[in-house]
Amino acid sequence: MKALIIEKNSMNILLERFLEEYRVFGPTKPGSDSTFDEIKSIEQLHLDYISTVLPPKKFFLPPNETLFSFNIKNGKFTTKEIRPDEKILILGIHPCDVHALLKLDKFFSGDFNDLYYQNRRKNSAIIALNCVEPSEHSFCRSLGTGPFLNEGYDILLTDVGTNYLIEIGTSTGKRLVKGLNLTNASEEDFHEKERRLKLMEKKFKKSMNISWLPKIARENLDHDIWFDLGERGGVAGSFPCLSCGSCTFVCPTCYCYEVYDAVDLSLKSGTRNRELDSCQLLEYAEVALGGNFRRDRKDRIHHWMLCKFGAAAGGKNSSCVGCGRCIRVCPSKIDITEVAKALRRG
Amino acid sequence: MVKKPKIAIFKFTGCAGCQLELLHLEDIFLDLLELFDINYWVMVKRDNDEKEWDISLVEGGISTPKEIEEIKQIRKKTKFLVAFGDCAIGGCIPSIRNWIPQMEAENQVYPDTSTIHSMKVLGIGEYVKVDAILKGCPPHRETIVELLKSALLKIRPRLKQHPVCVECKFRDNACLITSKKMACMGPVTSAGCGAICPSLGRECEGCFGPMSNPNASALASIFKDIGFSEDDIKRKFRKYAGMSSEFQKEALHEWKK
Repeated sequence: MKALIIEKNSMNILLERFLEEYRVFGPTKPGSDSTFDEIKSIEQLHLDYISTVLPPKKFFLPPNETLFSFNIKNGKFTTKEIRPDEKILILGIHPCDVHALLKLDKFFSGDFNDLYYQNRRKNSAIIALNCVEPSEHSFCRSLGTGPFLNEGYDILLTDVGTNYLIEIGTSTGKRLVKGLNLTNASEEDFHEKERRLKLMEKKFKKSMNISWLPKIARENLDHDIWFDLGERGGVAGSFPCLSCGSCTFVCPTCYCYEVYDAVDLSLKSGTRNRELDSCQLLEYAEVALGGNFRRDRKDRIHHWMLCKFGAAAGGKNSSCVGCGRCIRVCPSKIDITEVAKALRRG
Repeated sequence: MVKKPKIAIFKFTGCAGCQLELLHLEDIFLDLLELFDINYWVMVKRDNDEKEWDISLVEGGISTPKEIEEIKQIRKKTKFLVAFGDCAIGGCIPSIRNWIPQMEAENQVYPDTSTIHSMKVLGIGEYVKVDAILKGCPPHRETIVELLKSALLKIRPRLKQHPVCVECKFRDNACLITSKKMACMGPVTSAGCGAICPSLGRECEGCFGPMSNPNASALASIFKDIGFSEDDIKRKFRKYAGMSSEFQKEALHEWKK
């Protein structure tokens, strides 16, 4: 499909077109602590952001959502499903986060169809943005999930100087730029994209080699590193884990949730809800009579790391995309790439 | 109509803020009265029934011999005893005085201490069996309602034991420890407040007390690393739950150098 260019100063042309059909969300602050919020005018948009606190996962698997409401009347039980059907567009999502969504897609349409997630995905458009400035914590390059994107987008933007290069990925993307009178991209624009990719690749400070890591981690359950992370001294300059769960909530590929009922004061009606959960919390693996499969902190952090190394659900669903959010958010400075290195050293 | 459970509300050493939180249930208070009879509540009612109660919500810690006797009487007449708020759980803010000699504390406040019969402030659980705890200074209204509803439905209440960080992340907040170098107690403090303070850029003070299985020593080391003095750190852990086993070491300041 042909590519286009748009002047950075003219991005409002694109935004206005998007707003005709969608509620638009994008990064609203520069820097690493940006957040994806609703964008109504171009001044709110900060495509120069580095990373966000929560990944775009929050639009498709919100921290807390109502699944259905229920009611008992005259002994009869009725439910009313709540179906998300709003059309949303995420503008400026980085390649790591797009890859994370592709992983979530697999999970939520695998053995079970999660209609809540799927509906939201179906009703959304993804306008991705290639990374030209890595965060000091990211390591997508070593995992093949960035810094540039080849799949999973409706429209892909790349900063090529004073312009954005616009590449189209789907018919939705094509429809959205149709009739906007944008200039066609030239050979030079693609050369510039290539040049920036090469430049970008040199800027990464972190990397993680995950080949065989799940096996290594599983066979080293008694490795000192888990005790160090759990209670003792930490690893590579970190403090021991706090079990605060922040790493899992900011992780774009963590999908664990809990389902619970909330009954209102009539005691006759209420809602069934789901809320994100975290394997780092003590209650996560708790079962009846107070039993707990992962009571020890070291077992919990081991479990999460193993999951991120790609071992969860038989290696099919989880794994890491190298966005670096868990490293940035960790008050204990625990760095998954350092843990991986230490494990490899044996 | 099933007989409504009888509730009693008591106060010991505390500020009455927990009871006030009950009154703040204004918009649903009448709905609650459809479900419960409040038979004893000195703060609100003129006529109080001192017979037996199904649920007693007890606010405040125990700080005098007289209070020990009273809480034992309440226990005898109560089916389901709730430590209502941090003071009843572990002494909370009044327990800060436990760290200085009793006479010194008394002399700081009272010109004549001859009529004072006071001792260390401890939670009611030191003297009687407690069936449930409602964390918080004061507990959040939703946790109060959740507990009462669950009592009626005879199910386990969904009370949060995990840290404030969970609720803080749900609100898309950047971490105050990593991004602002603030001494936030969130990672060791029980959730339930909705991360109110961090959402306003203020560090968590720890008013819901320790979460389940907190790593207090790691957080103390982190505070030290970002530049807080050992005295500051000690005060942080003494403020709301210094008497708790979870924070005891850091409050005493015996953690590893």
